[in-house]
Amino acid sequence: MFGSLKRKWNRKHLTDERFAFLFDETASDEVVVFDCETTGLNPKKDALISIGAVKIKGNKILTNESLHLYIEQKEQISAKSITIHQIRHCDLENAIPLEEAIETFLHYIGNRTLAGYFLEFDVAMINKYIKPMLGITLPNKQEEVSAIYYDKKIATIPQGNIDLRFDTILDDLDLPRLQAHDALNDAVMTAMIYLKLKHVGRLKRI
Amino acid sequence: MIALLDTLKSHLPFSLLDDAAFKTIEAASQIAYYPQDTVLFSEGEIPQVIYLVIKGAVEATNNEDLIDVYHSNDVFAAIEVLKNSASTETYTVSEELICYEIPSETFLALTKEYPEFKTYFFSSIAERIDMLKEKRENVKAAEMMVARVDDSLLHPGCMVDADTDILEALRTLENSRASALIIKNEYGYGIVTDADLRYYILHKEEDNLRKISQIQSYPVIAIEEDELLFNVLLTMTEHNIKHLPVFDERKTLLGVLDLTDLLSYLSNQTHLIAMQMQKAENIEEVIKASERIEIMVSVLHAKGVKSRYIAKMVSEIHKKMYAKLFEFIFPESWHERCTLLLLGSEGRGEQILRTDQDNAIIFEEGFEPEEKEAVLLRFIETLDKIGFPRCQGNVMVINPEWSKDLAGYKSDIRLWIASPDYNGLMNMAIFYDTYAVAGNIALFKTLRDYLFEKVQAHKEYLSYFARSVESFESPLGFFSRFVSSDKKHKDEIDIKKGALFALIHGVRALSLEHTITKTNTTERIKELNNVGYMNKEDAHELLEALEIINTLRLHAQLEKLENEKEMDNYICLRTLGKLERDTLKEALKTVEQFKKRVAYHFHLAAVS
Repeated sequence: MFGSLKRKWNRKHLTDERFAFLFDETASDEVVVFDCETTGLNPKKDALISIGAVKIKGNKILTNESLHLYIEQKEQISAKSITIHQIRHCDLENAIPLEEAIETFLHYIGNRTLAGYFLEFDVAMINKYIKPMLGITLPNKQEEVSAIYYDKKIATIPQGNIDLRFDTILDDLDLPRLQAHDALNDAVMTAMIYLKLKHVGRLKRI
Repeated sequence: MIALLDTLKSHLPFSLLDDAAFKTIEAASQIAYYPQDTVLFSEGEIPQVIYLVIKGAVEATNNEDLIDVYHSNDVFAAIEVLKNSASTETYTVSEELICYEIPSETFLALTKEYPEFKTYFFSSIAERIDMLKEKRENVKAAEMMVARVDDSLLHPGCMVDADTDILEALRTLENSRASALIIKNEYGYGIVTDADLRYYILHKEEDNLRKISQIQSYPVIAIEEDELLFNVLLTMTEHNIKHLPVFDERKTLLGVLDLTDLLSYLSNQTHLIAMQMQKAENIEEVIKASERIEIMVSVLHAKGVKSRYIAKMVSEIHKKMYAKLFEFIFPESWHERCTLLLLGSEGRGEQILRTDQDNAIIFEEGFEPEEKEAVLLRFIETLDKIGFPRCQGNVMVINPEWSKDLAGYKSDIRLWIASPDYNGLMNMAIFYDTYAVAGNIALFKTLRDYLFEKVQAHKEYLSYFARSVESFESPLGFFSRFVSSDKKHKDEIDIKKGALFALIHGVRALSLEHTITKTNTTERIKELNNVGYMNKEDAHELLEALEIINTLRLHAQLEKLENEKEMDNYICLRTLGKLERDTLKEALKTVEQFKKRVAYHFHLAAVS
């Protein structure tokens, strides 16, 4: 109830009707898993560098419809953040303006459910930009993969501490770890976690 | 680029593609998840996508018979798509699967654009293993180059004083059979080689040449012992010289190194070891020569020499070794009155690394030397020293069972045939692989003829004999389930039990039936083709399978040897490359078919 109220409130503030499709009620059977690379971990201060996203439909990750956007940077990327995400200035050759990137992303996700690892951060990052642009925050349903993992895991070890680190989850689910660390590969790995969690009946105890 | 595709780039056949092709694949493919027991496509269907396993396992079955198993980085459905033909197997997920799915149109377009990529799918196992070997070839060449000069490579040096008369010096050289003459001067050394002699012949009158020092090349280019062979080769090519004296620290001449020897050493140490063995004058020298065999094996293997040739070389050297040991250890009075036999893998000439000693001795009827036990024990102890582990089945001359006179063995043979129990069948198998290595070979021939005669008179025995080809299940069925079945050998298969045993024994049974006297499995297969039992294609396929299995086993064993682990017959599936696993699977399939053929031939279903 509260959710739908909030949703209506959000809809009322949409300033650009071209994006009304975000509020479309017809259910989609697809989920979008996405990941953002940023200059730091503070959504308020730090800037978006790239977005990687893939769609999931049924038992498949539609890598053939994947999205990988690099965004033009106003400020120099600090040496410290380069060591984290390994995106150098020269990698931004195909970068596009921020507004174009956000619009492309919104068209890509449509009204689909969003999934991700530590999704709150990525959503906050996007919201930071669309709030001034469109007057709204992302209205899409959201699924946090670490939460799904936690729920499945706690059933097997009720008193245990559950390690929610990304690599731990990958290992526990026996999924391949991709060497390349970029938004798209992270999204693909997260998508594999999501897919497996959705299909697997029980998780291992340890 | 999605990194999953990156790992593919290093695996055949995808390593035959370029980045543009990968972009095409990426733009069209999806990642799919299938829970266990999902049927991907059934017998009679044409698959719509090419599957590329990321994680998990898929089994291909035909009427419940397991045909193949696919693991990480394996590709399937490609042949069906290429031929646009219905699958002859049903593909079922046997372990939760994550895979890439490349649409068939994309795949077909790629095969048109990259002909090599297409050819790969139609290449035979033999061609694939050749591709593998090329890859391995260069690995150990480098290690050889860091080997050092030691005296086994050197020819004895011949040295004369500077003021020696030329003709006298040459006479000394001639008598010493050395290839170059070293001249000792007041300060340092000189050398006289063929080129200097040419000069002497042409100019001896005009230059009034008398003393050897007048025609020497001085100072000589020389090296110290322990120099890297790599540097030696450089020195020789740089100065364009064929003979290089080697001195020790105190400047004493150790010998002369010949370029031909160096080059052949770098290409293969075999003939040197064989020569060393041949020249051995006592037991210690035999032991010393055999120490080098292992190094030779790993070098030859790294160079991509087929394992059956390696086995042949090793077995040739071993035969020389046994002949020498026989000469040194067994009293002269025995030599014509007994035969030393090699049995089992050594008898077949298939023991590349020292897995165990299998030997026996036949005595002439009535010959019972007093010192028998002491001599035989000394023989076994010498083999211990060389590094042959004792035979666990106790097939050794120190066991009275394997040290009998002719009549004793004859009665054994009758017994083996009359009551084909486990031991009898085992003994027959071991004995039929016998190679008579030293002593009076005629004794053995008599016994072998006797064996053939008895077997031919009791043909029904052959079915009992052949039965054990079915003793072990094929590891193909285990490929995915092996993990849980044996914790100690996770992801490993026992290649001896799983395939080698059945192959060797099947060939052995057929050979016994056809009274083939060869003991080596390769040669037996060729004989089976010659006598008309098996056509050329089947024989070739079997030989290839044998080669692949032996190569992979040797590779695993060498690795264990290097890491000082216990040598066994396990092959670790995880360490195998994609291509190696493919070829192994093909080989295992060939062995399975061969097992069926043997079972049918000997009506094994009727024996129990």
